[in-house]
Amino acid sequence: MPHDDKQYFTVSELNSLVRSLVEESYPEVRVLGEVSNFKRHTSGHLYFTLKDGEAQLRAVCFRSQADLIAFDVEDGMQVLATGRVTVYEAYGQYQIVVYAMEKAGVGELEAAFRKMRERLEKEGLFDPGHKMPLPAYPFRIAVVTSPTGAAVRDIVSTLRRRWPPAEILLFPVAVQGNQAAPSIVRALELLPGVEGLDLIILGRGGGSLEDLWAFNEESVARAIYGCPIPVVSGVGHETDFTISDFVSDVRAATPTMAAEISVPRMEDIIARLDGIESRLVQFARLDLELRRRRLSELVRSYALGRVRGGVEGAMQSLDYTVERLYRTVREMARDRGSRVREALARLEGLDARKVLSRGYAVCSDGGTGRIIRSSAGALDARDIRLTFSDGKVSAEVKERVNGD
Amino acid sequence: MATKKARFEESMKRLEEIVRELETANLSLEESMAKFEEGVKLGKVCRELLEKAEARIKVLVEDEAGTLREEDAPYDSKD
Repeated sequence: MPHDDKQYFTVSELNSLVRSLVEESYPEVRVLGEVSNFKRHTSGHLYFTLKDGEAQLRAVCFRSQADLIAFDVEDGMQVLATGRVTVYEAYGQYQIVVYAMEKAGVGELEAAFRKMRERLEKEGLFDPGHKMPLPAYPFRIAVVTSPTGAAVRDIVSTLRRRWPPAEILLFPVAVQGNQAAPSIVRALELLPGVEGLDLIILGRGGGSLEDLWAFNEESVARAIYGCPIPVVSGVGHETDFTISDFVSDVRAATPTMAAEISVPRMEDIIARLDGIESRLVQFARLDLELRRRRLSELVRSYALGRVRGGVEGAMQSLDYTVERLYRTVREMARDRGSRVREALARLEGLDARKVLSRGYAVCSDGGTGRIIRSSAGALDARDIRLTFSDGKVSAEVKERVNGD
Repeated sequence: MATKKARFEESMKRLEEIVRELETANLSLEESMAKFEEGVKLGKVCRELLEKAEARIKVLVEDEAGTLREEDAPYDSKD
């Protein structure tokens, strides 16, 4: 109530009133939060902010109590502060005067972790339906981690060993301290703008729950959730779970395993290609054998001296081609896994044009482009095309010729 | 232009289709030879995509304007 008979408070009066109300209500509180904007004044007093994902609280610790704190307070540290709540009347700002502070124990951090996990889970941030499948063959991979330390080395060397075709883009971030969460969030905001990026690996080596705290920050969780490119997280050791792990599209136990999950093994893919190509060759071989058998039957059924010469020539050339194919397949089987370019060169040896260079030509219909297999077909077509190894010519069919 | 990832995925998929078609469908000689040739070509595309890319490492740096620049890695982190 305004004193005297005035109908209003002065600012000083109101602040003083609120101060006494607050001080009476909260003579002693314990607050869990992260230290930020930490400053040690020349007077010896400590000024800082305590915060969590959503809110901030001004804090001051006077010199006499500050000297009793058993550790060096730093930004990013999770602490449990004990103090009284008051109002700094000059600024009308409410704050906590801290007179004891300890590093937050695992118990407190775990409780905070569980609470946030439940809240974000309810909100649907861990929804399996929202997770993106990883690309089978990523060729451009961003690695978001500290530029120093074991994690970046492990990830890069694993990627290079397993899958050399991939281009690796390092995005250096802080993974600990009060810059960690904002720098990771920034990375996840900027990376989708990188052209042709297929995958993001977010990693950090092992550490205490406090060390890994940035990966439990709500801002990081939301940035991962909102990232349109698949994110694989590999934070800490096997037993460490962070909120980032739950939100990411795939969780790996360690940075090395994140890299392993992210890419196929080059050898496996080469083996698969080898397999497919040898099936192709196999097919071509069977196809030619079939043609040879048909030709043999033809020769047997006609058995006419006049025709035989031409047929035998054709048979011989087919035999030769089949022999070649056999050789190719045998060599491919022997050299499987060795230099692939050679296998490819052998495959190209099967190309019809190579056969043409030995003096054959393919006859096709000049209009439809269909291959002509018989003299009757050629007479029907009239306008034909002859394909030699070095090019094509057009030709006109005049008449059937008797004899060889 | 399609990314390498997209080109590789597409080529592998088509290559596997071709092998299946050759082995199961009853194709004329011309059709199967055309497919054989296409298969050889696609195999070559895949191998080139795998072999051409020399494992490159770049570092992303954000400039004042908030855009990302790719810089060569200051160190070579070969095993």
